[in-house]
Amino acid sequence: MAEPLLEVRDLHKSFGGLHALRGLTFNIAAGETLGLIGPNGAGKTTVFNLIMNELKPTAGEIRFEGKNIARLATHARVKRGIARTYQVPKPFGEMSVAENIRVCMATDDLWKLISGRPDEAAERDIGQSVGFTDQQIGVQPSELSMGDLRRLEMARNIAVRPKLLLLDEVFAGLTLGEIAQISELLVEKKQKEGLTYIIVSHDLRALAPLVDRVLVLSFGALIAEGSFEEVINDEGVREAYLGQ
Amino acid sequence: MDKTTLKLLGGWLLFGVIMCLLPLVVSTGTLRILIFAHFLAIFAMSWDILSGRTGYISFGHPFLIGIAGYTTAILSFRYGVPIYFSIPAAVAATMVGGTLFFVPALRIRGTYFALVTLAFMEILYQMTKVVAPKVTGGTRGISGIETIVTGAVPNYYLTFAAMFVIGLLLWLLVRTRIGIALSAIQMDEEAVKSAGLNTTKLKLFAFMVSAAVAGIGGAFYVHYLGSIAPRGIFEINFLFTILIAALIGGAGTIVGPIIGAYFLTMLLEFLRPVLPGMERYFLYGIVALVVYVYQPNGIHSLLASARRHLSVGKS
Ligand SMILES: Nc1ncnc2c1ncn2[C@@H]1O[C@H](COP(=O)(O)OP(=O)(O)OP(=O)(O)O)[C@@H](O)[C@H]1O
Ligand SMILES: [Mg+2]
Repeated sequence: MAEPLLEVRDLHKSFGGLHALRGLTFNIAAGETLGLIGPNGAGKTTVFNLIMNELKPTAGEIRFEGKNIARLATHARVKRGIARTYQVPKPFGEMSVAENIRVCMATDDLWKLISGRPDEAAERDIGQSVGFTDQQIGVQPSELSMGDLRRLEMARNIAVRPKLLLLDEVFAGLTLGEIAQISELLVEKKQKEGLTYIIVSHDLRALAPLVDRVLVLSFGALIAEGSFEEVINDEGVREAYLGQ
Repeated sequence: MDKTTLKLLGGWLLFGVIMCLLPLVVSTGTLRILIFAHFLAIFAMSWDILSGRTGYISFGHPFLIGIAGYTTAILSFRYGVPIYFSIPAAVAATMVGGTLFFVPALRIRGTYFALVTLAFMEILYQMTKVVAPKVTGGTRGISGIETIVTGAVPNYYLTFAAMFVIGLLLWLLVRTRIGIALSAIQMDEEAVKSAGLNTTKLKLFAFMVSAAVAGIGGAFYVHYLGSIAPRGIFEINFLFTILIAALIGGAGTIVGPIIGAYFLTMLLEFLRPVLPGMERYFLYGIVALVVYVYQPNGIHSLLASARRHLSVGKS
C-alpha cells in the first residue's frame, strides 16, 4: 500500500486539567475523504489546530508525506500542502472578496510580493469556482451571508493550493441548496486535483455521500472507525451522541 | 501600473509642483513652519508604515528618531566624521534599533507591545543623560552640529524633497501586494499564517522600513536644528504630535500622515498668538476627538469622500 498522506500517532492535548485529546491515532491516504464526527467538545477542532500547529500537542507525532512536521510553523505547513477552514469563518474584514483571495495566493518571497502584480484573473476564477458572482467579488465580508462566508473560506483555501484540506463545519448555517453547491465543489476539486479531505460536520446527511471513512471522537478518544453506515449503527456511537 | 495608480500619481505630481512654487509666494517664516511639517510628516509616515499598517502600535518612535539623531550628531560633531557618512551610519544604526523593537513583537501585541516600545524610549532617554555624558552631552545635549544647507529656502526644498520621495515610495509600496499582506496582519495575524505567509518576515520588513524612514528623518532633523537634546526628542508631546498627525490624517494610508502633519503644524501655528504656551498641546486631544467622532478614518478619508461626491455631482 502507498504511504499515507497524513499520519497521526498517539496525539494528546491537555488544556490545564482538561484532557481534550487522549491518544488519537489515524492515517489518511492521498485522495481519500475522511469524516471526523463527535459530540460538541469531543476534540475535533483541536485535531485541526494541532495539525496546523496553531496549538502545540502535549504528546504525539504528526507526519505529512512521510516526514515528521513537528518543527514546521503554521505557514510552512500550509506551503507543504495542508490548509484548513474555520468553524467560525475568519475573513479579513476590511478587504474585498478578491483581496481576501489575493492574500491567500501571495508568495512568501517579499521581493516578488513587491514587484509582481496580483493575478486578478486567477482571483476571479477561484471566486467563481465557489459560486461568487463578479459583483460579489468586489464586496467586503460584512455584506456577505453565512453561506457566502463559508464560500469565501473555501475560496481562500483553494487559493493556497493544498493537497490536504481540513474542513471544519463547512455546512453549518447553510441552506440545502448551498450545501449541495459546496458538496459539488468538493467532489469536483477532488476529481480534478486529487484533493484529500478531512471533513468535520454535525450534518451527517450532508457528510454521508462525501466520505470514504468516518472517525468518531468522544471526549478526546476515538470510539469508532469505519464506513459511514458502520459507525452510525455502532452502539457506542449512538450512546455518545444521545448521552450528551 | 494600473490606471488608478497612474491617475493618483498625477495628484502627487501636482502636489510636488505646487509645493516647489510655494517659496515664490510665501514668507520665509511660513517656510520655516513648513519645514517642521515635513519632518513631522516623515516621522508620521514612519509610524504609519509600521503601526497604521500592521496594527503593532508603537509608542516608542522617539527611540528610533533618537538613535538616528544621536548617532549622526556624535559621529559628526565629536569625531569629525563627514555627514555624508554619518547620516547613512545613523540610518543603519536606527535599523539595528528597529530590530530591538521587533523582538517583543514576536511574542506580544496590542497594548503590551505599545507599552514595551514606550519603555524603550524611556530607557534611551535615561541613558543619554547618564551613560557617557561626555559623548552625548548629557542633559544639555550637543549643539553646534553641522547643517546640511543654510537658509530657509534651501532647507525648505531639502526637507520637502526628502518627505516627497519617502512619501511617494512608501505610497507605491503599500499599493503592492505587500501592503495588502501587512494590513491583513492587522486584521487577523493567525489567518495570515493560515494563508501560508511568514508573518515574522513580513513584520520584520515593516519594522525595518519604518526604522529606516525614522532614521532618515531623525538624522536630517538634527542637522537642520544644529543641536540635539534628550528633552527635545524623548518627550511625550513629541510622541503625541507624531501619533496625532498620523491618526487625524488617516492611519494606514501614507497620504493621511502627510495631510495630518501639514494640518497639525498649521493649526498649532495659527493658535500660537492665542495660546502661546504648552496649552496648545491640550488641543491635540480635542482635535483628535473631533476628527474621531466625525470621521474615524481621518481627514484623508473625508477628502476622498468629498472627491467622490464632486465627481458624482459632475456626471
Ligand atoms: N484553546 C483552548 N483552551 C482551553 N480549552 C480548549 C481550547 N480549545 C478547545 N478547548 C476545549 O477542548 C475541548 C475540545 O474542544 P474542540 O473545540 O476541539 O471540540 P469540537 O469537537 O470541535 O466541538 P464542537 O463540535 O463544539 O466544535 C472542549 O472541552 C473545549 O472547551
Ligand atoms: Mg469544533
